[in-house]
Formats: sequence, C-alpha cells, structure tokens
Amino acid sequence: MTLLNAQRISMQFGGLIALRDVDMRQVAGETLGMIGPNGSGKTTFVNVITGHLTPQRGEVHFDDISLLGRKPFQIAAAGLTRTYQAVRVFSELTVQENIATALVDAARPLDSDGVAETTEWLELRHRLDARAGSLTLYEQRRLEVLMRLVQRPKLLMLDEPVGGLSSTEVRATIDLLSELKARCTLFVIEHTMKVIRELADRVVVLLAGEKIADGPPAEVLADQRVVEKYLGSADA
Amino acid sequence: MTGLMRRWLAHAIFALAAFATPLLLSGNRYFAFIAGITFFSVLWATGMNLLYGYTGLMPLMFGGIAGISAYVTIGLSANGWSFWLAMLVGSVAASLVGIVLGLPALRLRGFYFTLCSLVIQTVITLAFVYFVNLTNGDVGISHIPLPELPGGRQLAGTAYELVLATIAVIGVVVLTVIVESSFGRRLTAIREDDGLAETLGINVTRQKLAAFFVASLFASVGGALYAPYVGFISPRSFDVLLSLNIWVMVAFGGRGTIWGPVIGAVILAPVPFVLQDYYTIKDVVYGLLIIGVVVLLPGGIVGGVKRKGRADAPAAVAKQAAPVR
Amino acid sequence: MSDTTLIILLSTITTGLMLGLIFSLVAVGVTIIYGSIWMPNAANGQFFLLAALFAWSTSVSWGLQPALAALLVIGSSVPLSYALEILLVRRFYDVPNRNISYFVLTLGITQILSGIFSITYGVWSDQFQLPPLVPGVTMLGPFPIANNRLAAMLIAAVLLAILFALLRFHRYGRALRAVFQNRDAAALRGVNVRGIYRMSFVLGNAVIFAGGVLFACAYSFDLTIAWTMAITAFAIMIIGGPGSVLGALVIGIVFGLTQAVASIFASPTIAAFAYLGAMLIILLFRPSGLFAR
Repeated sequence: MTLLNAQRISMQFGGLIALRDVDMRQVAGETLGMIGPNGSGKTTFVNVITGHLTPQRGEVHFDDISLLGRKPFQIAAAGLTRTYQAVRVFSELTVQENIATALVDAARPLDSDGVAETTEWLELRHRLDARAGSLTLYEQRRLEVLMRLVQRPKLLMLDEPVGGLSSTEVRATIDLLSELKARCTLFVIEHTMKVIRELADRVVVLLAGEKIADGPPAEVLADQRVVEKYLGSADA
Repeated sequence: MTGLMRRWLAHAIFALAAFATPLLLSGNRYFAFIAGITFFSVLWATGMNLLYGYTGLMPLMFGGIAGISAYVTIGLSANGWSFWLAMLVGSVAASLVGIVLGLPALRLRGFYFTLCSLVIQTVITLAFVYFVNLTNGDVGISHIPLPELPGGRQLAGTAYELVLATIAVIGVVVLTVIVESSFGRRLTAIREDDGLAETLGINVTRQKLAAFFVASLFASVGGALYAPYVGFISPRSFDVLLSLNIWVMVAFGGRGTIWGPVIGAVILAPVPFVLQDYYTIKDVVYGLLIIGVVVLLPGGIVGGVKRKGRADAPAAVAKQAAPVR
Repeated sequence: MSDTTLIILLSTITTGLMLGLIFSLVAVGVTIIYGSIWMPNAANGQFFLLAALFAWSTSVSWGLQPALAALLVIGSSVPLSYALEILLVRRFYDVPNRNISYFVLTLGITQILSGIFSITYGVWSDQFQLPPLVPGVTMLGPFPIANNRLAAMLIAAVLLAILFALLRFHRYGRALRAVFQNRDAAALRGVNVRGIYRMSFVLGNAVIFAGGVLFACAYSFDLTIAWTMAITAFAIMIIGGPGSVLGALVIGIVFGLTQAVASIFASPTIAAFAYLGAMLIILLFRPSGLFAR
C-alpha cells in the first residue's frame, strides 16, 4: 500500500531552485533512505512534506489524503511526523514533561503502559526527571524519537538521526532504528553511508534539487553517476 | 496532610492574607486604598504572567484592553445599565476587541510581536483621545459613581477592597488551574519552541488566541472595577506605561511561576505611594527597575524562566524575522 | 495658478521636506543601530528630545551662539553613547534574542528620561523655542520662508549626503555593511565586530541628536514630540526595512510630505493612524520591509 506519494514537487526560494519536479513514493513498511550533498534539497523536501513550506508546484498524498495546504499540526495528526537536523527538544522542561507535551495533542496516543515500555526501550527511564537540556546529545536524539513514538506515527521522517554522534553511538542507533522498523515506517536522511546501507530498503539520491537515482542501496550506491556526482566527493 | 491540602496551602495562605489586609487596614482609608491598588496589580500581573510567563508573548497592549473595558463599562452604566451587567459585557467585549486587534500580532514572534502590540496600544490610546464624545478625550472622566449592590447600597470602602481581594484570589487560582491543565502544557510548549510544538500536533495559533482571550479577561475585569474604585480615568490611565509597569512586576517577581508575579506586584505596587511627595519620580523609579531586571535579574527574584543561552541562537535568530505561517 | 494656491503648495512642500529630512535623519540613526547591534532603540524619541532641550538650554539659558550650541549638543552625544555602551549595551552583544532585551531596556530608558523631563523642563515651560540660527526671510516667489528653516534643511540634507557617502564608500561603512549582512562572516574576514557595534551605536545616536537639534532650530516644540518621534522613527524603519539606510531615507521623506499634506486636509492624529496602519501592514506581510537589503 502506498503510504506517501509526492509528485512533481518544485520549490523555489527567490531565484534559487531548491527542488525540481521531485517524485517520491513510499509504501508502508518500506524504509526509504535519502542522500545527497549539502544544499541538494533534502531538508527542504521534508519541510514541504510536513507542511513547513508550501511548494510552487506538486502534490503530496499521505494515506490517500492530500497534504498540501495543511498545517504541520494537522499533518502530525494524520500520522506523519519528523525530527530536525539540529536536535530539538524542550530543553528547559524535564524528560517527563517533554513526553507529556508530545502526548497532549496526539491523535492516536500510546497508552501509559506503551509509553513506559517505549521509554524503557529507549533507555530514558532513569532520566525522566532530568532537564532535557542537560541530557547528552545521544540521549536527546533518543528523546526526540520517543516523543514521536508515543504519538504512534505511521511515517517517521528522521533528518540526520546520527549527526554528531560517536561511532559506538552510531552503531547503537542503527540497531535501535532497525528494531524501530517493526513499529512504524521510516524515512531517513543521512550522510553516513553505513546507516543507509544497513537500514534502507530503497535509496533516493538528490542532487541540486533533482532526483538522480532511485533503487535498492546496492544498486544505487554502485551507480556510476551517483559515485561521480556525490560519493566520489563525500567522505563515504 | 492530604495531597489536596498541600497543593492549595499557598493559595489558602494567600487568600487569608488578602482578605485580612482590608479588614486590618479598614481604619485608615489611605492604606486601604494602597491595598486595593495592589489587588489590581496582582490580578493584572497574574494575567500578564499567563502570556509573558507561560506563553512567551510580551503584550504591551495589556493596559489598552483594560482601558477599553473601563470605558465601555462606564459608558453602559451611565446609560442606566447595572454596573455588574455592564462590567460583564464590557470585559467580554474588550477581550474580543483585544483578540481582533491582536489577531495579526499573533502571527509574529518575539520582538516583532511586542512591537506590533506597542503599535496597537498606541492606536488604542490615540482612539481614547480622539473619540471625545465617548471618552471625554484628554480631560478624562471624573466622579465615576460607585457600583450599586442589590438592595440599593453602594459598594464602597472596605467592602470594595474585599471584592478586589476576591478577584485577585480568583485570578491566581484560575492561573494555577490553567497551568496544571493540558492547556497550560500546550502554552509552555509554545513558549519553549513553538515550531516543535506545532510539529507535535499542537495548534499554536488557536492556543495563543485562547491564552490571549483569558489574559485579556484578567485585564478587562480589572479595568472595569478600577474606574469606579479610583473615580477618575483618562487615556493616560491605560497607556503603555501601565503595561510596562505590570510587565516589570511580572519580570521582577519571576515570570512563569505562579507566585513570582504576585510577589512582584505586592512589592512594587505600593512603591509610588511610599514615595508620596516624590510621586512624580515614579516613572524614573519604574524605569530604573526595568533596566535593573533586564540586566541583573533575567529570572526574577523567584527565579522563573531565564534568558536562553547562546546555544540555541541560530534557530532563534532565524525564526525571529519571519512571521509564523 | 493663483498666489494662494502657490503659497499653499510651496508651504506644504517646504514643510514636508523639512520634516522629511529630520525624520530621515532620526530613522537612519535608528536603523544603523538596529542593523548592526540588533537594538531597536525605543528611546530614540527621548534622545531626540534630549538634544532639542539641551540645545534650548545652551542657547537660551546659557546664551551660547546657536550654531556653537548645536555643535556642542551633537558632540555631547559621543560621551553619552560611550557611557551607555559600556554600562548597558555591551553586555547583550552575545545574547541570542537580544532585540527584545534591548527593546525593553530602551523602554526603561524612555520612562526614566520622560520622568526626568516632566519634573524639570516640564515644570519650567510648555513650549520651547530657540533663537534663529540665521536671521531673515527669503522669498520663494510669493512665499516667504525663514532663512533659519532653509539653513536647517540644508544642513540636514548635507548631513544625510555625508552619511550616505560614508556608508557607501568609506572603509568603516563597508565594514558596517558587512556586519549588517552577516556578523559571523564579517568576523571571519577580520572585521572587529564589537568595534563596529560600538561605532554604530555612537554614530547612530549622534545622528539622532543632530535630528533633534535641527528640529529645535526650525520649530518650537514641547515634551510630547518624544513619543511621536519614537513611533514615527520605528514606523519608518519597519516600512523601509530594518537596517536599510536607503529605506529610512526614502520613507522618511515620504512620511514628512504625508504629514505636511495631512496637516492641511485632516489632523495630525489621522496622519499618525495612517503611519501606524502602514507599519502594521508591513509587519504582517513584508517584515523585511520595502527596501530589504
């Protein structure tokens, strides 16, 4: 079943073209990876899908409802949510309060057992009373994911989930995310190729706002054009 | 001690003190009047705390909304309405006008919101001066009659102060209930990071509007009761200085805490009276206080919400400039 | 065209230009400070009034020659700015949401100054008038204009031209504009950002003072001009685009002419409503202003 269907998305800022006729389909249960150099339009794409930006052209359907013109909070209620490239939690509030805030307007909230179990699974149980701003980056990343999971999203878009983490933490995050695949559909933007290779069922490559490749990771990462344009220059 | 008692202990003490003060001071009208003015300040500071402390918006049109309510209430009572009905209509009307005027401002954040609210306050003040046949212009309205009680007696003296104490206590209780409800949780989320709040499914604009309406009710109930209590109002009674003075009570006490602004109001509201003969330097004292709070006490004396650190600068800078979509 | 019409026309244009040039000066001062330090100086109107009152004191009470008094007043803004910078402004340079802190801070300064003025100057007089800078009257066709106002107008125009040239061509101006655009990038290119901050605070205030002095030379004034000027300068800055010197210049002149026309056909209150309305619209729909840099 097609979960997300974006067609011919075009986005321009002034004279700068951020996205040009990008098509994207994702079926439920499939983990999609998105790669591309800085400024290739990855985050802009997520911003368009989640209602933070309105594209000049294109259509987005999620679960067979049209998303264009809907506000971020309505899109969240429809079951599509995202994290941010720079970690973003309510840093002055405690972990417990952060979770409670995520639950307050959740359309399909987890019950309290589910919340407790997910908190345990993300190893944040012992940090419930800590101020979120006092957590380590890795803990904050997990809290971000926890705040999304208590809302039981159908699709979770992760914008560079391992950015700034150490190699052991990256390893642990990959393991967490591969377990997470059983709970909801994932869309992962990442520069770290290891994450994409291990998690993604399919990879999309953006270059200067255009989709230049789309297919299974092994195939795409071996594609001559991708290697030349992106991998050759990146620290993959 | 049961949990319920412990939870409301501070409120009980505050209520007791609030009701005892007018009774204890009933022998001296001057001191009793200072207590009365302090109750207004507590009510107003508590209302502004909902916006500034819990929602993160600094509304400089607060005084203007109190003024609209005062003028409407006086106007209606002068036309034969019962004061209490006039107050009800005046308060709700002023809050609705506040929302309509504030609607555009709610699209903005931070400094731009505050500037916009200052412009709206200026427009309200200009309107008070301009529509002379409704407001008597710069001269103001004096000899405002006291509210009538059922049975034909007038609400005056200690009884009036007891009503004000009641209103102040109700205000603090209402704020506490809001803060502990899911409404309060949404507002706190908006204060901390409205973009993240929206991503988590919170309808930011609607919540801000609701907060605005409730806070405006605090302003306007106070405004309606203020006019007959003091007996005289003019456009200057409700200008930007009133909003600033209430703001400084909230900030000085500690925004985003229930009791900080109450303490701030109790300490600062009597200051102009303490200065007595030097009443004219009130503005200078309040101005120095504003600077002192901004520079030395960003969290207030109770230690409320502090200024954000450098760490989240880029996001904060980026979101300042553009209006919320 | 009859003489009366011509006189009205000429008087409107000269008043409009005069006011416009002064508005521009003050708004340029405000926008230079906002553009660099991110400080919305709500006290600009009180600074403007302070300069005007100080000019009145030095020329009327002390009997100083008006031109000398004007120079003295504008010069006095420099130590004042330095003191404020060291005491208050400097500590917020690295605070992320400092524009709101500055806004509140300058509202506090506004309250202090207005309190001080009302218990000093306010007690002495309602209206303040300076002796003329240059005596005599010049005839523009049938329309007489005081040489004094002509001189003030000329000086304002020259000052604006110098400022504009300074910002466009001088090393300091280029550094200032680099800081306007991107403070971190400017710092990387070796610009002394804090030095530029201090300079723009000093320069901006000097320009606001110059506006106040020239206004005092051309018109009699009372204490209420402070608040009017503050709101007007903010409106000009927001509409012209915060940080845009060209915007402040153009919109300042437009405002001056509008005010002159409005005073003939309606009332100053209507003009004020118009400014505020225009400012609200810009704030809502084009917060970067008409002359976004």
